[in-house]
Amino acid sequence: MSGPDGARAGGTVGSELPAEAFAAALAALPGVGPAGLARLLSGCDPRTAWEREARRRSPRPGLGEVAAGWSALETAGVSVSVLGRPGYPACLAADHEAPAVLFRRGGPGGLEGRRVAVVGTRRCTAYGRDVAFDLGRELAGNGVTVVSGLALGVDGAAHAGALAAGPTAGPPVAVVGSGLDVVYPRGHARLWEQVAAAGAILSEAPLGARPEPWRFPVRNRVIAALAEVVVVVESPDRGGSRHTVEAAMARDRPVMAVPGPVRSATSDLPNALLADGCHPARDALDVLVALDLAPTGPGPAPPTDPRPPPPPGEVEVLEALGWGRKSFEDLAVATGRSPAALGVALAHLERDGWVSGHGGWWERAVAR
Amino acid sequence: MIASIPSATLLGVEGRPVHVEVHVSNGLPGFTVVGLPDAACRESRDRVRAALISHGLPWPTKRVTVNLAPSGVRKGGPGLDLPIAVGLLIAAGEVPAAGAEGMAFLGELGLDGSLRPVPGVVPMVAAMATGTVVVPPASVPEASVLGRHRVRAAPTLGDVVACLRGDQPWPDAAVLVGAVDPAAPSVGAAAANGPEAEPADRAVVGRAVAGATGAAGAAVADAATAIADPGTAADPAATGVPDLADVRGQPVARVALEVAAAGGHHLLLCGPPGAGKTMLARRLPALLPALEGAEALEATTIHSAAGVPLPPDGLLRRPPFRAPHHGASAVALVGGGSAWMRPGEISLAHGGVLFLDELGEFPASVLDSLRQPLEEGVVRVCRARGSVSLPARFLLVAATNPCPCGGSGTGMPCRCSPAALARYRRRLSGPLLDRFDLRVVVSRPDPSTLVGGPPGEATAPVARRVAQARARARARGFRSNAEIPAPLLDRLAPLAPPAWALLEQGLRRGTLSARGLHRVRRVARTIADLAGHGEVVSEEHVCLALALRGEAGLGEVAA
Repeated sequence: MSGPDGARAGGTVGSELPAEAFAAALAALPGVGPAGLARLLSGCDPRTAWEREARRRSPRPGLGEVAAGWSALETAGVSVSVLGRPGYPACLAADHEAPAVLFRRGGPGGLEGRRVAVVGTRRCTAYGRDVAFDLGRELAGNGVTVVSGLALGVDGAAHAGALAAGPTAGPPVAVVGSGLDVVYPRGHARLWEQVAAAGAILSEAPLGARPEPWRFPVRNRVIAALAEVVVVVESPDRGGSRHTVEAAMARDRPVMAVPGPVRSATSDLPNALLADGCHPARDALDVLVALDLAPTGPGPAPPTDPRPPPPPGEVEVLEALGWGRKSFEDLAVATGRSPAALGVALAHLERDGWVSGHGGWWERAVAR
Repeated sequence: MIASIPSATLLGVEGRPVHVEVHVSNGLPGFTVVGLPDAACRESRDRVRAALISHGLPWPTKRVTVNLAPSGVRKGGPGLDLPIAVGLLIAAGEVPAAGAEGMAFLGELGLDGSLRPVPGVVPMVAAMATGTVVVPPASVPEASVLGRHRVRAAPTLGDVVACLRGDQPWPDAAVLVGAVDPAAPSVGAAAANGPEAEPADRAVVGRAVAGATGAAGAAVADAATAIADPGTAADPAATGVPDLADVRGQPVARVALEVAAAGGHHLLLCGPPGAGKTMLARRLPALLPALEGAEALEATTIHSAAGVPLPPDGLLRRPPFRAPHHGASAVALVGGGSAWMRPGEISLAHGGVLFLDELGEFPASVLDSLRQPLEEGVVRVCRARGSVSLPARFLLVAATNPCPCGGSGTGMPCRCSPAALARYRRRLSGPLLDRFDLRVVVSRPDPSTLVGGPPGEATAPVARRVAQARARARARGFRSNAEIPAPLLDRLAPLAPPAWALLEQGLRRGTLSARGLHRVRRVARTIADLAGHGEVVSEEHVCLALALRGEAGLGEVAA
């Protein structure tokens, strides 16, 4: 897993430890955050910075701890890049808030191609999940790297879509808020491994760092700095995605938004962005145009719907369902059907892919 | 002189025979109770002394030793007051021993000599081998439930002594029961949420007078009994059982309730505050058929042992409804306690409905303790001093909000953080949630149906359909469809080809597990039974079973 940064050490003797080992040890010191780390490392090489900092601390950390930390990183397959040293991702180096130290699992490939961030709320609707999945799949299919945060909801769906595009597609890149050995959210353990295998997972946090709340807004600025275009799929007006959008705008990165129902609270942010003049991202093609790329991959969804058209009786149920979430009972009241008849209609609609049921709630599904 | 009086004590829901041996001899005057008595037993000395003196009976100024045999079994409660007093009088020569021949005694004494009821009369009487039992007047219906003994009662100790001496005949037990004040606290341990269906009018009652279901039987008969015997048609208003007609709208929840009652399927209602979850659950017991035979006797025994008030004729026929608060401890729920292994709420719900409101607020450890009884219908309570088996076969109905703030599902935004939601769902997930065959999202009914809408279908016709469906299940050899074992489903619930295709697709897509498949088939069997459909389960029934199964019923699931 050794990257071109060459930050790999064979020996563990202090004098043979690379500069990256000292930077990683500095990052792992208690009380050192991303900003503090940048301050410590500015204007001197990591080893000097570490020695200076170690002298100020009691008990004084020794070289043995640096070596132990370095071998732990090696065991975990994590490589370290230090700002200003060879091997640091070029796309981040010029950023005014570039992470001083970057931990990475996976190859550096994703950081060299074209990159689009697909972000959104953890509590998305089926619509947001579907759109994020399709965006991820089609962008990756066109060789674009999908950057996201591996969170629940939109982030996870975008990555799952990027992985679904196959092994030859653009490698996904995730930027996470916890240490690279702390899987968060736990439900995404498998996705986490898949992203690490196909692309890369980046973090500013040292191994073992808990997913503390303050780390996520800080992480979002890295996503914005990495991406050439930021696409907001679904988000309430105030939320983590807003940090990403603001960070992207501060860097003059184009922000695109997926239009959503005007009454859906989870589409408040993208709709507000559209009203402010952002470009709409209806599908991957819109995003590819913004990147000045021509579509080559599987392309947007075919114009014809592959699903068999529902019979008129079931169309009535679809109309009663609308584009929101409804419970079985809401639907029974709205359509005036008996539960048994409604059950048959919904089972047929679900079989044909028109609706999806989750936890007793029903939603309209989009063509896949 | 020595006397030996048969009586009984209580452990769990079982009576244990006890012989009260009283020995009166010369020596330093004193009174000792031996044979592992608990505090209430030891204190009976003072009650017996006061009762004797109140009736002008002599307190022997001799050495008195009372032994509760077998000495190794712990005795609890005040029920041994009466046998101790009678034994003392016989041993002291005040009452001829022949008078009490073949009689067992049970009852607490007041300081004025009155006989007071004790909890657990049904199981304790069941443990008595004698032909006649003497109990307090208020306990006569309970003592008569078994019908194996001749039941004698007298209002005071003085009357008991007079009857034993032959000075007066035993009073008619049935007349005595009528004279008992129904408002008097019959037993100390009455639970806070006893059956809500206590008839207001307890006129002259008792098996001796009214038989099983006579004039007073009408008050205890429920809708299902009314079907079996039109002569005892129950007026819901008189029984105080809430009627299903009060539920407006909510077609799906009504169907779920009916299916749960007909098939014995556990039901989870999920909905925002004010959606009527509790209202629906309280209407479920009236849909269940009346308890019969052994089941009624089991339920009666448990209620008696727990000291929960019983219907006036002593036999519990209405399926009980228990709704413990979520503050309940594991012991309160499954039974136990160090002294006499009181049956818990799940045993009190035996044959009826256990309703857990705010399921997500119950501690996880308490919910976990329900899993074994749900599987086996029996809860085994083990303590250092011994273990008892308490019957606990009940229909579990639970209600929960979709999220801790209760906002989602009402049109108002949910204010819960994702972490709080995940915590809430974790608590509601896993093995217990798996036991619910029916998981239904309940919404607040539309205001127009609440104010001006027509009343819903009443309890009686629904109960009739439930009774018919249950009869079909019984014809297959099971109490309810929920008990059909998986290997027999192919024979007892064959599927029509389109229904098969639908389930097969669910299995292939991974939306349905193998266990889920069996559950859906059992529920579909019940739905077909309710519809009066033949032996083959059609697509319609399977679709409804799938829709009623829901999943977690807890809002959206993260990607």
